[in-house]
Parts: sequence; structure tokens; C-alpha cells
Amino acid sequence: MLNTFVRRLGQAVIVLLAVALLLFVMLRIIPGNPVTTMMGEHADSATIERMTREMGLDQPILTQFFQYLLGAVRGDFGTSYSLKKPVAELMGAALGNTVKLAVFASLFAWVTGILCGVLAAVRKNSIPDRLFMGFSLLGVSMPVFVTAMVLQYVFGYLLRWLPISGAESWTSFILPAIALGWNSAGSIARLVRSTLLGVLEEDYIDTARAKGRTPLGVLTRHALRNAMLPVITMMAIQFSGLLSGAVITETVFSINGIGQLTVRAISGRDIPLMQGTVLFAVTIVILGNLAADSLYSVLDPRIRKGG
Amino acid sequence: MKKLISILLVIMLLAAGAAAAEVEEGLLRIAVLYEITTMDVTETSDDYFVPMNVYERLFETRPSPAGAQVEKSLCTDVQISEDGLTYDFTIADGVVFSNGDPLTASDVKFTFERLLKVNKMNTDIPSEVAGSDELTGGTADSLSGFVVKDDTHFTVTLKAPNAGFLAELSSPVMSILDEKSVTAAANFGSDPKDTIGSGPYVIKEWAANDHYILEYNPKWRGEKPTVTKVIVYAIKEAATQSTKFQAGELDLLDLQSLDTMVVEQTYKTQYADRIVEVPQAGQIFLAMNENNEFLKDINVRKAIGMAIDVDGIIAGIYSGNAARENGIIPAGVWAHNDQLEGYSYDPEGAKQLLAQAGYASGQVHFELAMDSNAQTDIQTVYAAIQQMLQEVGINAEIKSYEHSAYLEKRRTEGIDCAIAKWLMDYNDPANIMYTFFGSAENTKQRSLNYPDTEVMARVAAAPAIVNDDARLAEYQALEKKIVREDAAWIPLLEGRHLYCMGDRVQSFTPQWAGFTDFYVTDVVLK
Repeated sequence: MLNTFVRRLGQAVIVLLAVALLLFVMLRIIPGNPVTTMMGEHADSATIERMTREMGLDQPILTQFFQYLLGAVRGDFGTSYSLKKPVAELMGAALGNTVKLAVFASLFAWVTGILCGVLAAVRKNSIPDRLFMGFSLLGVSMPVFVTAMVLQYVFGYLLRWLPISGAESWTSFILPAIALGWNSAGSIARLVRSTLLGVLEEDYIDTARAKGRTPLGVLTRHALRNAMLPVITMMAIQFSGLLSGAVITETVFSINGIGQLTVRAISGRDIPLMQGTVLFAVTIVILGNLAADSLYSVLDPRIRKGG
Repeated sequence: MKKLISILLVIMLLAAGAAAAEVEEGLLRIAVLYEITTMDVTETSDDYFVPMNVYERLFETRPSPAGAQVEKSLCTDVQISEDGLTYDFTIADGVVFSNGDPLTASDVKFTFERLLKVNKMNTDIPSEVAGSDELTGGTADSLSGFVVKDDTHFTVTLKAPNAGFLAELSSPVMSILDEKSVTAAANFGSDPKDTIGSGPYVIKEWAANDHYILEYNPKWRGEKPTVTKVIVYAIKEAATQSTKFQAGELDLLDLQSLDTMVVEQTYKTQYADRIVEVPQAGQIFLAMNENNEFLKDINVRKAIGMAIDVDGIIAGIYSGNAARENGIIPAGVWAHNDQLEGYSYDPEGAKQLLAQAGYASGQVHFELAMDSNAQTDIQTVYAAIQQMLQEVGINAEIKSYEHSAYLEKRRTEGIDCAIAKWLMDYNDPANIMYTFFGSAENTKQRSLNYPDTEVMARVAAAPAIVNDDARLAEYQALEKKIVREDAAWIPLLEGRHLYCMGDRVQSFTPQWAGFTDFYVTDVVLK
């Protein structure tokens, strides 16, 4: 198992390097000039050309790439063109909010999704089943920005219960976590329901019942435990997705996180910041997948034994 | 389940208590779509809120019933030589920065020199001073045209006369810095503790991409304002700003970025008595590249001017919150000519002009380039103009470019035609005239490629006309020549900038200039 993990880790590093190179080249060959964007309307061509030289943007792409890699190894991801601060510092400041949002949203998604999925499965084809599945379908199909604005209007404006935007206290994260987590909750609920229904028809469930286990015991100790395998994989991947930046949610709720930083980087053609945020997102997704694979093999003895 | 619901309710009530907390006395809460990127004016042409409120300038441009006026600020007296080259300044005695250090003539000189030494942007104004080329070129250590006599007196000698020089000095770019704190700063512009000015506020906190806080500077020489603390939130979603304002979480809302329908149906009805509006001090116009095979023909350009129904655009897209412009110098700016005749909407006349040019059967086609960052109203104007041109037989294809690609294409390859916007930085016609028609480089950089070098020479020389009447006449003649005779610029409109005051605000006087930043001292709380 250790060998598998090391092999996967090696693959992850190669993927990361390939993405870094691809990103680096792409950002430099697309039309436009970051210096022109940075200098705005008040700089002449001579100044733009001088600044291009001073920032080293006239050097060959490979030279720039290796300089970037050398810096990155030392933790120096360059300085943001638009915010004039080190990329590492900006991302460090934004990461806390993104982690909080990802954790709150995941907790909401996991608890709500699993509860709805289980209740829908055990009350198959009943009114609660239809209600819970309706709830999950709404979460999956409603755009996040619509959910966000409805929540802001109802709980922020009409009821005045929760802050409309910002990240000043933990209460500020409740609405964004619901807006962001509802979509994941819907997917989880549907997956839990379908896998649980499949597992409940297995022979070993009948055996457990025949042995006199209580319905709750059968559900929790036998059925749910087996039904959760694909769900856990999905949860790990979803969590890594949330951690790499919830662009729309962070923008609508004005949360200074990785997602909002990414938007800023793209709109301002801020190459160092774009590289930093995109590479961070890629790293998190790779690690998330790695974690999901590892978790799966821990939970499923057949995979652990190379089955 | 009941227990869970009870816990949730308690949490909600606690949160509600937090949200409904009493607002601190003297606090002003505002939001901006794009937060500041720096507090250093040598690095920005957008982020003026901190410079305007933390620093002071020798002069300030202030709104008045008679139009925007340049008023003395740090400067208490100025004597100008007859040839318009030499300015003897006296600055107020006893002015101190927020750290207690005195503001002297040396700080003013340092400010001029620093803009030139950093040499990134905003160098236009100090470049007018004698010796600026030597300083920028590295052959001199100091600005020879700036002589400090004592702590409160200095002389500035210009390379050429410029009647708009004092207006230029009111630009936020010319905020007077504290030499000592700037020199000692490791990375000036990014740390509030280094941002030391003599203005009414000090910056206390800046959380990048989130918010920043200003507090009253007790060492400021002016009368204590009612606003003693300002929180500026960076909220990129205009709808979120609007919801926060309506929930009482913001005290002043800039309506410019909101959808016109929301402004009309919500703010102009429910908050009608709370709206403050000013002309935008700038204009939206049609820029045409005279290197284009069709647009180089004056009849085609004039036909375009006649094909556009500006009044229809103002009524339909701006719901009347804009005024027609007929020239280059916008209303509210010195030398604006409200007698200048504009293009009449005349599609039949436009067709006749096209026929005279040999394009009677719809041969004229070009690209209408659009910056992807263009605001919704501008995007709608694009669509409307495309339709209007189509009606007279001109095929203008709208092509959207990513912001950076747009700027670069405009600067290097050139774009055919675009709807552009220019907002005034200071109250002098040179700010717009010179930028677009002052030199071959300027006109090329903005894809106009205006060919008349004689007119360009006159535009470049106009600031040197010391006599105000003569300068006014020259600018108005130049404007008439460029717009009416050469049809090199199709004026469209000047928007109105609307703000909505919250319940805690008693009055607000917006800044006259094109940029959205304002003096916080112009907000009076109840």
C-alpha cells in the first residue's frame, strides 16, 4: 500500500510540473500585455516597453519559467502586478477564509446530504422521500449565485438574522456555506439514497436481519458502512474542489478567499497571481484525489490487498 | 429534532443580535467594487480615495454653483510671472503631517522629484518643470526648476507656460508626501503605517482585497468632520452592495454600477429624496481610426455621426440620466462650449453622404471593438449603435476583446472603431484634448491616427496661452475643427453619477471629477 501511495505521489508531482509549464506558457502567449493593463491609460509606449524590460517579461519563456520554479521552491511565487504584494502573502491571507468556507460548506453538505439520503432510502417512495429528493434536486440544479442572493435577501435583508456579506465573524460564513454546500448536499443525498437502496437488497443484510439485529443496527453497522464507500470518495473530491476556491460564492458574499483572488488575477492579467492561485487549485485537486484514493483503499480491504 | 431546532433558533437569534448591533457614532460605511491596489500615487491612476483623504495638495478642485473651481489648499499665495513660466508659491505655516512632522517646501519638492524618479505613470505634471528631463534621464540629482527658498516658500519654473498648471496641481496625483516617512518605508504604498499625510484622515488598517479603515487625523488643521471613521468594504457584486445598503449596513451607495432598471424602479421611487447626482465630468464618444480604409473618408465619419440617435440612447438606455455632448470638452469643465452644434440624427442624410463617398450599396464595414470589461450600459450602447449603423447601410461587427488584449491591440496594431469613455482627472481642457490630439504618439496610442499635424501642434501649444480668453477661444476653435470640420471624434453623451444616502447621512457633496472617489469631509452625518 505504501508503494502505491509513493507511486501516486510521484505521478502527482509530474502532473503538477506539467500543469505549471503549460500554464506558464499559455499565460504568455495569449493576446494582451500585462504591463499595458497594469499601467492603465496614463502611460506611454516608451514607459510600457521600459517596464516590460524591468519586469523581465522580454526574456525567453523558458528562462522565465526556470526563474519562477527556482523562486517557487524557496516559497517565492513572485509579486502581484495589481496588488503589489508577494503572491504567497496574498494567498496566505486569503487561504484562511477559503478553508473556513470549505469546512462550513462541507459540514453542511455532509450532514444534510447523508441525513436526507438515508431518510429517503429507508422511506423509499414515501412523501418524505420525495421531499428530500426534491430538496436535493433543487440544490443540484439551482445556480449558486441565485441561492446566494435569495439567502442574502431572506436572512440578511428581510429577517436581519445574518450578515449579508463579509467575513468578520463565524456567523458571516453561515449563508455562504449553505449556498455553496447545498449543491454538494444534493449530490451526496442522491448518491447515498441510490447506493443504500442497492446495499439494502444484498443477502448479507437479510442475514443480519435474520440474526435478530435491530433495524437501526442493520442500517448503521451493515448497510450504511458499505454504502458510504463511493460517498466518501465523492466527499473528498468535493472538499478539495471547495478548498481550491469557490469563485462565485466568495464574490457574491464578498469573502476575501482564493476564489476571489483568482477572479482578480484573471481580470487584471496579473500573471504571478494567476499562476499562484491556479497552481494552488491544481495542487489541492491532485491532493484531494490522492486522499480519496488512499481513503478508499483504507476502507475497502479488497483494494488494499490489490484486488 | 425539537432540540436541534431550538439550538438553531438560539444561534440565529444570537447572530441577529450581532447583526443588529448599534452603529458606532461618526462611522461611515461605504463599499467599492474594486478595492485599492496601492496607496502610492506613482503606482496608480485609479486608486485616489486614500490620497484624496489622507493627503493634501497645493490646490483642490471644489464644486460650486458656478462650476468646479480651483481653490487654494496648502498653498496660501501664488505669484505668476508675466511670461507664465515662473510660479512663486507660499504654503501655509504650521501644517503638520499626522506623525507630527512639519510639512515644508522640501516635502513638496520631494513629491515632484519622486514622481519623476519612480517614472512609472503620472509623470506628466512634474515633467513640465524645467530640469525634469535631466532628472529622469539620470544626468541630474534634483529638479533644477524647483527652488526651495525656505520652509514655506518655493519657486517652480516651467519649461513652457501652462495656464492650467494650478488646476493640474489639484489632481490627487500631486498629493504632498512626507519625505521622511516615504524614504524610510521599505515598500511605500502598501503599509498603512508609512502612509503619512497632512489630510483629515489617517489610514489605520488595510486588509488587501477585503476592506480598509480611515480615522480622523486630530492634527489636521481643518474643522473636525462629523465622519470620524470610515470603513471601505471591497464588494465586487453590485447587487450585494445594494442589499447591504437597503439593510442599513452601508451609509452611502454609488449607484453607477447597478442595473439601470434597479436604479429606476427601486432607488428613484423608494429613495427618491435620498439621491444625490452630479455630471460625470467626462464623456462617452465614438473613436474612429483614420487609418481604416473606410473611416479615413470624412463623409463616412460624418455619416456615422448623423446615423446615431444620441437622444434615443439617452432616453432608452440611460433613462434620461445623461446629457448629450456635442464637443470634446465635457460640460462642467472649463472651456466647455454649450453653443457647439452637434450632429442631427438624420439617417437619410447619412445615406446620401455615404453615396457621395461611393458607398451607396452597403460596402462600408469595419470592426466595432469592445473591451470585455465594458460596463453593461456601454455594452448596450454598442448594440444600439450597431443597429443604427446597419439602418444606413454600414456593417459594424462588434468584437469583444479581453481587457488586456483590447488595450494592447489599441496601442500597437490599432482598432477600427470603439465606444470609448474618458473621465477628467483635473479641470482643464488639456486633460482630454492633449491626451487624444496633442501628439502623433497620443493619437496613435488610442487608435485615432488623426493626421493633422498642424492641429496637433496647436493642441500642444494651447496650454501656453496665458490669457484665459485667448486660450478659451483657441480650445473652442480646435474643438470645432476636430469635431465638426474633420469629424475625427463623434461625441455622444455625459452620464450622470448617482449616489444614494442612507438614513444616517444628512448631506453629501460628490467630487466634481470623473473618478468616483470623493472627499469624506463632504459627507455630513446626522
